[in-house]
Amino acid sequence: MTDPRGSTRFVFIVALLGLAMAVLVGRLAYLHLGGGNHSQATVAKQRTFKQTLTVPRGRILDGSPAASILALNVGVKDIWVDPSLLNTSNCIGSTLTRLAPLIPIDLAEVLLHINKTNSQFAVISRYISAEKADAVANLKLPGVHMSDSSIRSYPQNIMLCHVLGFANNEGVGSSGIELAMEKLLKGSPGLIESRLDGHRREMVERRTQEIPAKNGADVVLTIDQNLQYMLEKSIDAAMERNRSKAAFAVMERVRTGEILAMVSRPGFDPNKFRDAKDLQKLNRAIGYVYEPGSTFKVSVIAAALNEGIVTPDLMFNTENGRWLYQGKVLRDYHAYAKLNVADILKKSSNIGAAKIAIMLGDARMDRYLRSFGLGSKLGLDLPGEEGGILSPVQKWSPISSSRIAIGQGVAVTGLQMLGVLCAIANDGMLMKPYVVKEVIADDGTVLLRRQPQILSHPIRPETAALMRRLLARVCEEGGTGIKARVDGFSVGGKTGTAQKPISGHYSETDYMASFVGFLPADKPEIGMIVVFDEPQPLHTGGAVSAPVFGEVAEQAVRYLGIIPTENVAPLSNTVQADGPGETF
Amino acid sequence: MMAKKNKKKGQSKFPVPVPLVALLLVLVGFALVYVCLHSRTETLGREIRGLEAARDRLRDQLVREQCEWAKMQSPSSLEQALKAHGLVMTWPGRDQIVRVRYDGSLDTLHGFESRPMTRVARNNRIVMND
Repeated sequence: MTDPRGSTRFVFIVALLGLAMAVLVGRLAYLHLGGGNHSQATVAKQRTFKQTLTVPRGRILDGSPAASILALNVGVKDIWVDPSLLNTSNCIGSTLTRLAPLIPIDLAEVLLHINKTNSQFAVISRYISAEKADAVANLKLPGVHMSDSSIRSYPQNIMLCHVLGFANNEGVGSSGIELAMEKLLKGSPGLIESRLDGHRREMVERRTQEIPAKNGADVVLTIDQNLQYMLEKSIDAAMERNRSKAAFAVMERVRTGEILAMVSRPGFDPNKFRDAKDLQKLNRAIGYVYEPGSTFKVSVIAAALNEGIVTPDLMFNTENGRWLYQGKVLRDYHAYAKLNVADILKKSSNIGAAKIAIMLGDARMDRYLRSFGLGSKLGLDLPGEEGGILSPVQKWSPISSSRIAIGQGVAVTGLQMLGVLCAIANDGMLMKPYVVKEVIADDGTVLLRRQPQILSHPIRPETAALMRRLLARVCEEGGTGIKARVDGFSVGGKTGTAQKPISGHYSETDYMASFVGFLPADKPEIGMIVVFDEPQPLHTGGAVSAPVFGEVAEQAVRYLGIIPTENVAPLSNTVQADGPGETF
Repeated sequence: MMAKKNKKKGQSKFPVPVPLVALLLVLVGFALVYVCLHSRTETLGREIRGLEAARDRLRDQLVREQCEWAKMQSPSSLEQALKAHGLVMTWPGRDQIVRVRYDGSLDTLHGFESRPMTRVARNNRIVMND
């Protein structure tokens, strides 16, 4: 450094570098100390990353010890392409040709989307399974991408479709349990707030907020999939055998009101809910009202016995099958001259039931019917329940009670009719039916546990016991429900063959055939109703529905481990058809 | 006499003060620690991201397996499987059931005493998968 010019140059360069450093440091300090708020905000916005963590809906499980899964969310992929890239590289044809064998593609629609060259996103196929998505990924096609999605899956397909309902593609429950339990099933989404690096990847170490997602709770049903399958299989076979238009059936545990099985036909596959028609989606067991016919006699006779107006051996003149009352003729299916109350039920005499109803009186009859849960909803925890039709007593005509007694001029749901029989089976207590046993959160906390609930107490336990013995006679030799018998068990029940009201008249060809009953009759455990709509050529409840009851009940009692006890106390020896006594 | 040593000859024109050097060394030390920690946290971040992805993958796989298992153990699938293997499953006849009471005694069920064997055979075979 002896050269003064060199020394000056060195000082100059150092000063220049120093100045540059000072400017950079100054700028850095300015930016860091908040001088460049606008720039900071822009950069922060670009690098901030917010992700909503979607959660799968809770599962729906059956009530069997195995707790089988009836509905759950399954992860799938949506396949999308970058149209601008495909167009510029001119490989639309080759890409689609290679994808077509692997995934379902609607070519016309896809081409319409892809031809929008300014777009960078066009979905070509949705809800692709993981296996197929892997196959697509292995092709390593440029411009083809995948994003995560999920769908609601119902592994049992059509089974229990009306109870489960379905969740739409947005994951919102739209019918059945999916709708009723929407709040608990859907869970709550989480949130991640973080920063992105230069490659727009999340910098996990810069996470500023992480709210974990709360998974949807699991809903456990009272329905047992094995009992459900038995019932569905029998109903399907009987529908085919009897060329029936529709059918429904419900099985209930009489002591608690738990629904063990519920079938409605025609049904639908909830995995393909879009293809189902409205009539297929209707849960007939709770959402379809029908005139019950002779099964309704049970409620009127129980009321009359409870009031002490009649006794089982009280004789009635059944008019040889034809009775003119208030200018209208009432007929019996089989003509009898005289029947006592026990045989009116066993032989299902319309005239006898009508006379009992008239003795009971309109007001009392109305009170009893409403106490049996008729004319209003029972409060089942499923959407779409109907309350039936039972006109206010003030609007009844002089012949109303005689017609309502035989199940005409009144409309009920299958569940309501089953409720009447189950109340008799349960010592006169009407239980609130329910299908949701419990709801369990992701962490195992029990959010809801249903307990049996008494709705009303329409008849005394002694009357209920007497009714059980009378109903057991219906399934004995000479009764209309003999085909509902189960070997080793006493069955109590009632058949119903109701003409369908069409255009203001009762059809001569279209019937509702039903059987509703319980077993074992002396110590009832399960109650069941089986109804067929327009069966052909057989059309009576005893011929069409009772055999299905017997077939399913025989398997159900074994499955449930119900011990056979064929020891129903016989009725008094004085109870004999056409026997002596006062006649009404 | 020796020539006097020129002290200025060995001295730098811009001597660096020791405190400044110490400060710089501390700063460099801090910087190195910072870089190390940053690198470590980045590595951990990547690991977390990888583990999260693996967890999601496993969760998906679990759900798919649960779905498949539910399908396989549905009554209709079991019935088809039995049929495929030529197996016929029947409910046990009532006379084949022995119940053990709480007191330990054995009890066959009631109501079987006098049934003819032909009837027993017919009633006992409720074929489940026909």
